[in-house]
Amino acid sequence: MSDKFSVIGKRQTKLDAPLKATGRSQFTDDVVLPGMLHGKIVRSNIPRGKILNIDTSKAEKLPGVMAVITHKDSGGVMVGPDQQLLCDDMVHYIGDEVAAVAAVDGDTAYEAAELIKVEYEPMPALLSIEEATAPDAPILKQYYEDNYADDLNLNYGDVDKAFSESDHVREDEFISYPSHNCFAELHGVLADYSLPGKLTIWTPNQTAILIQKGMARNLGISESNVRVCSLNTGGAFSGRGTVRPHHLIAALLSKKASRPVKIIATSDEEFIICRSGGKNRLTLKSGVTNNGTLKVIKADHLYDCGAYVETQFIMPTIVGATLQMLFKVEAFRYKGQLVYTNNAPYFFHHGGGLVPSQFAFGQHLYLIAQDLGMDPVDFKLKNAFDKGETTLNDTHYASCGLKECIKKAARKSGWNRKYGKLPPYKGIGIGCGVMSSGGKGMFQHDTSAAFLKIAEDGKLSLFTGLPDMGQGSHTTMAIIAAETLGIAADDITVISGDTDIAPYDVGAFAQRGTFTTGNAVKIASLDAKKQIAKTASEKLGVKPASLIFRDRKVYPKGAPDKAISFEDVVFDTLNCMEGRFIMGRGFYNTPTTKAALAYSFGAQIAEVEVDPETGIVKLLKMTVAHDVGRAINPLAVEGQMDGQVFSGMGQTLFEECFMEGGQILNQSRIDYKLPRPYEVPEMEHIIVETNDPYGPYGAKEVGEGPIACNPHAIAMAVSNAIGYTMKELPLTPERVLQAIRKKNRIS
Amino acid sequence: MKRILSLKVNGNSYEVAINPWQTLLDVLRNELGLIGTKKGCDIGTCGVCTVIMDGKAILSCLTLAIECEGHTISTIEGIGTAESLHPVQKSFIENGAVQCGYCTPGIVMTAKALLDENPKPDDDEIKDALSGTFCRCTGHIKIMEAVKKVSQPEDEEKSNV
Ligand code: FES
Ligand code: FES
Repeated sequence: MSDKFSVIGKRQTKLDAPLKATGRSQFTDDVVLPGMLHGKIVRSNIPRGKILNIDTSKAEKLPGVMAVITHKDSGGVMVGPDQQLLCDDMVHYIGDEVAAVAAVDGDTAYEAAELIKVEYEPMPALLSIEEATAPDAPILKQYYEDNYADDLNLNYGDVDKAFSESDHVREDEFISYPSHNCFAELHGVLADYSLPGKLTIWTPNQTAILIQKGMARNLGISESNVRVCSLNTGGAFSGRGTVRPHHLIAALLSKKASRPVKIIATSDEEFIICRSGGKNRLTLKSGVTNNGTLKVIKADHLYDCGAYVETQFIMPTIVGATLQMLFKVEAFRYKGQLVYTNNAPYFFHHGGGLVPSQFAFGQHLYLIAQDLGMDPVDFKLKNAFDKGETTLNDTHYASCGLKECIKKAARKSGWNRKYGKLPPYKGIGIGCGVMSSGGKGMFQHDTSAAFLKIAEDGKLSLFTGLPDMGQGSHTTMAIIAAETLGIAADDITVISGDTDIAPYDVGAFAQRGTFTTGNAVKIASLDAKKQIAKTASEKLGVKPASLIFRDRKVYPKGAPDKAISFEDVVFDTLNCMEGRFIMGRGFYNTPTTKAALAYSFGAQIAEVEVDPETGIVKLLKMTVAHDVGRAINPLAVEGQMDGQVFSGMGQTLFEECFMEGGQILNQSRIDYKLPRPYEVPEMEHIIVETNDPYGPYGAKEVGEGPIACNPHAIAMAVSNAIGYTMKELPLTPERVLQAIRKKNRIS
Repeated sequence: MKRILSLKVNGNSYEVAINPWQTLLDVLRNELGLIGTKKGCDIGTCGVCTVIMDGKAILSCLTLAIECEGHTISTIEGIGTAESLHPVQKSFIENGAVQCGYCTPGIVMTAKALLDENPKPDDDEIKDALSGTFCRCTGHIKIMEAVKKVSQPEDEEKSNV
């Protein structure tokens, strides 16, 4: 890295790491308010049925119980268009919220919840896509004609013509099973609605503003009457973006009891609050020419969205878009359908739901490459997008390092020496991904605002609405401000996470933080810089435009010996006759009608070993190349790569919620197999910098791009190792053994 | 019936009235205000609540507080401060082993217990010791690195080459 930058590109440790490593950082459960009560939710224990009676009398009489609520108290409060906060006449899945209590301590709340007796009349439940789409299936929702909750149809180019002109056409069906996010921090909320007119809530989240809006809308109160405090968040991974029932229930309990109420999920309840991933059925059909040019892709996607539609409608949008944004095609058709069942409502797992579709897409392309007798790396390079090209859905790539990522990952991993030449049960695979740096579409805009002030000692307070859930966004924002103002990242305190204070920011999802909020922070810093430059130019007798801000100094270009300290210029500005206060204001709304202006790309190469006796797969090494535009903080970029490789590996190889009768059978972090230290692979990081013209200092996302690549890479490596291309996810030992057996039968 | 419990935590003595079924985790957090130890599951599946008792890493959510009388307990607050960090804490910070930070106190304590007993663990010994921990953000990759670097500081690594 040249010394063009003084802060950007250095390995900056996280500004909040010392607090976290010494146990001083606070999370929701650490907040205790005077008079605080503990809440407990009573949930349905059948997947579908009528509620005949709810008897709360015993619970209400239990000493220490301060509030009991049922649908009678929640009135018309809805969680979503098809979801009542507390069920009145019907329950739709095991876990559906029916009643809730608040008591002086957790034990009393549990006891009271047990005392609430709900009488049900069970009804036949539909527990799979197949059952729910059968012609004679009962219709689960009033006002619907079938069990399709939502659909999306995309059609670009002449699909039929492109198929008829293809030399080779292939169709495959892929299935993936539900999985769960398993955040380190359990779901929880502390709500204080004891004073009329103001509801304050503390909850782990990745967007305070959407939580604020959701609370206000669902409770029918004004947005300014809701204050959301974010503190720290123990992982979010696309799963903490909206208001969930427990938030609203805590608010209603608090209102009724006139005291603050805390609800923290239990370990097994966690799997009900946030089941992350319904079953997917994705059929892919593609046409290619004999020389390996991909011409057309057609996708049919069925998705079990569970009992209610929360944010699942985004899933087809994401899958439909990404399937035609990685490799060039002439024509594309996508039909995505969400299917209502009586399973728990699906909520995002890490990767925004892309792991299943990227697995399917990767395996499908691998099968095509094998049909053509082509090396998968060559096949990908032949069809990959380039900088300056535009996709069928009119997405323009102002920067694109896809081919560079593929080439660098292949070279570094020794692909040519290994592919097709490894001993039995060792395999290698490549996966690619594309990811937007922004999420326009959720709103008309994709806005972030930032402001900052500077104190006499030259230290800066940066206000942003972007939460830091561990990805290090606060440090990234501090680096961008520090670079712009020529100071150090640790001169900056980032203040965020309180909607009464923080400026507007849509939040930390759709990989928009570095790009969108980063741009806002840069603009705010430039604004402040202008104000400081005025004083400095008076002192140094040069035009503001020829001033350099660097290393906590300000000097005329080419004359560092004339430098005055940043602190002195700030002091003089604040203490001048006019009493100028330094306030930087920045605002950025991506100027596009598309999801984003910048897209990141990646390629990963996985090397695996399969034990043919047990079917257990070990990911030995992952070579990760990612085009991040510019690495603002390489240490954090690597951290993002590591976490996503690990999580993608978990979803690809192990993680599955076993469902029976609408019940998740493995509701704990031991029964639900997830990767731990024994599964740590060797990592090779390759940061590709393409300097995006719109990104702050050229930066794009790295928040979910890497996870779009690895299911693809790992599944292919396993298939390569056993000589059989697997079509069901996750690739658990049972499925791998079955595949090995099938392969042996064939050969 | 509550009873009075004397506890020695981080070198300080405490007397608290507790119910016999309260866990050490509950007492540390809710009676002593030591919220640095986090609750990740409360059923012994995640390692987030790890503290050190008599030199051994234990899960405070599976330990009844009442059994801890007469034992020496140390928690994340007791091993270092932001101004004067324990080497494990320092290494976690410097090597990017902290992301959301929810798992961090438990893993730092687990690593400290390992290194106190075995200052030069090899990779397998580190994995064995940390096998009950769980980090959803870092993929354990930089955590492994951080623990290794405390036991094999950079310059020593070089002179070994
Ligand atoms: S909280 Fe003790 S092991 Fe999870
Ligand atoms: S840093 Fe988030 S779980 Fe470990």
